[in-house]
Amino acid sequence: MITPILLAALALVLAGPAPAVIARSEWPYRIPRAAVALWQALALAAVLAALGAGIALSYSTAGQPGQPRFDPSSGRDLAAAAVLALTALVAVRLAWSVAKVAVGTRARRKRHRDLVDILATPDGLVPGLRVLAERTPLAYCLPALRGSRVIVSVGALERLSDVELRAVLAHEQAHLRARHDLVLEAFTMVHTAFPRWVRSDLALEQARTLVELLADDDARRRKGPAPLARALVALAGSPAPADGLAAAKSATLLRVERLTSPAPNHPLLAASTYTGAAALLVLPTVTVAVPVLRALLTAIG
Amino acid sequence: MTANRRPLGDLERLVMEQLWASPDALTVREVHERLTGERDLAYTTVMTVLDRLAKKALTSRERDGKAWRYRAAAPREELVADLMRDALDGAGDRQAALVRFVDQVSDEEAALLREALARLEARDG
Repeated sequence: MITPILLAALALVLAGPAPAVIARSEWPYRIPRAAVALWQALALAAVLAALGAGIALSYSTAGQPGQPRFDPSSGRDLAAAAVLALTALVAVRLAWSVAKVAVGTRARRKRHRDLVDILATPDGLVPGLRVLAERTPLAYCLPALRGSRVIVSVGALERLSDVELRAVLAHEQAHLRARHDLVLEAFTMVHTAFPRWVRSDLALEQARTLVELLADDDARRRKGPAPLARALVALAGSPAPADGLAAAKSATLLRVERLTSPAPNHPLLAASTYTGAAALLVLPTVTVAVPVLRALLTAIG
Repeated sequence: MTANRRPLGDLERLVMEQLWASPDALTVREVHERLTGERDLAYTTVMTVLDRLAKKALTSRERDGKAWRYRAAAPREELVADLMRDALDGAGDRQAALVRFVDQVSDEEAALLREALARLEARDG
């Protein structure tokens, strides 16, 4: 009976307090790549622990692992079956969300790309660059397996000097090269899988910020910190368009402040974060697997 | 981006511009005539492009005897508005589709940003 309780506790800690503590800390921003790995491990471990708790609970009520018995007249066995069904429901919901987000994201991107191709003009500065004749300053990328696009509006071009534009393009190309969109998509899948009242937005928000930091670091290595910081301020500080876009809280200030300090280099912190992430994944996996393996060994032996 | 996709994508834009400029629906031949002034183009290429645009629901077509007549499915301004709404919509779970360089910030934050930038410029300068 102890395993399901431990796993359920682990799932709760990983879903609530742990993300809250990490999201409030400053250190993940120093090691964005390791921090992304940590958030991925957190999300995956929470899902595994929650599913594992359900599986382990149904074991511990309905006989020993490896010696299943089911007696429909027993309330215990019926309860175990209900727990298992609920666990299966969570798994199905997760799979459904994964498929829905994957299909939806691709459809939206395809439509957007079709529009970009007939509305924006190609520019030979970098491959896939399209210039949109709009006053609103705007720069973003549209990832794809083949034929990614970087879209920049005329309003953005007017606000950027040549070196600043190149820093922006380096940032966008870093997103495209590293497929940061897939990282965000995975977090979006987990995020949409859970009902609004249990999920927290922290993991997805943090992932968004961290991939921006990763692309910033890449652009900084190629073009230096100053052009990128100037480009950020030029595009973020422009008057917001009529539909009230101004975000209440944004990662922009964090990004600019980060560019004002020396390039981050924290190998020890990164290594311990990776270790922590790996440990997080091993914990629920082993907890679920060990009783099953032990039962299997007993059965064989 | 393969060698033969780029020109087609580019042609889609030029064909759409012809359709937007015309008050009436155009046949493949009419679009072809309007475009050959600018460049040498095969008739079948124009046909392919119009067919692709129809599949993408960017044009609508109707029968006129043996030929199809094409018109833009929506005015250019409407599609630009669609695109901008899609690009600027940072809300909810849909953001993973597009990754924007930077979001717009409040006036107070803009001031803080300029201060941080001034520190950087002072250090470098």
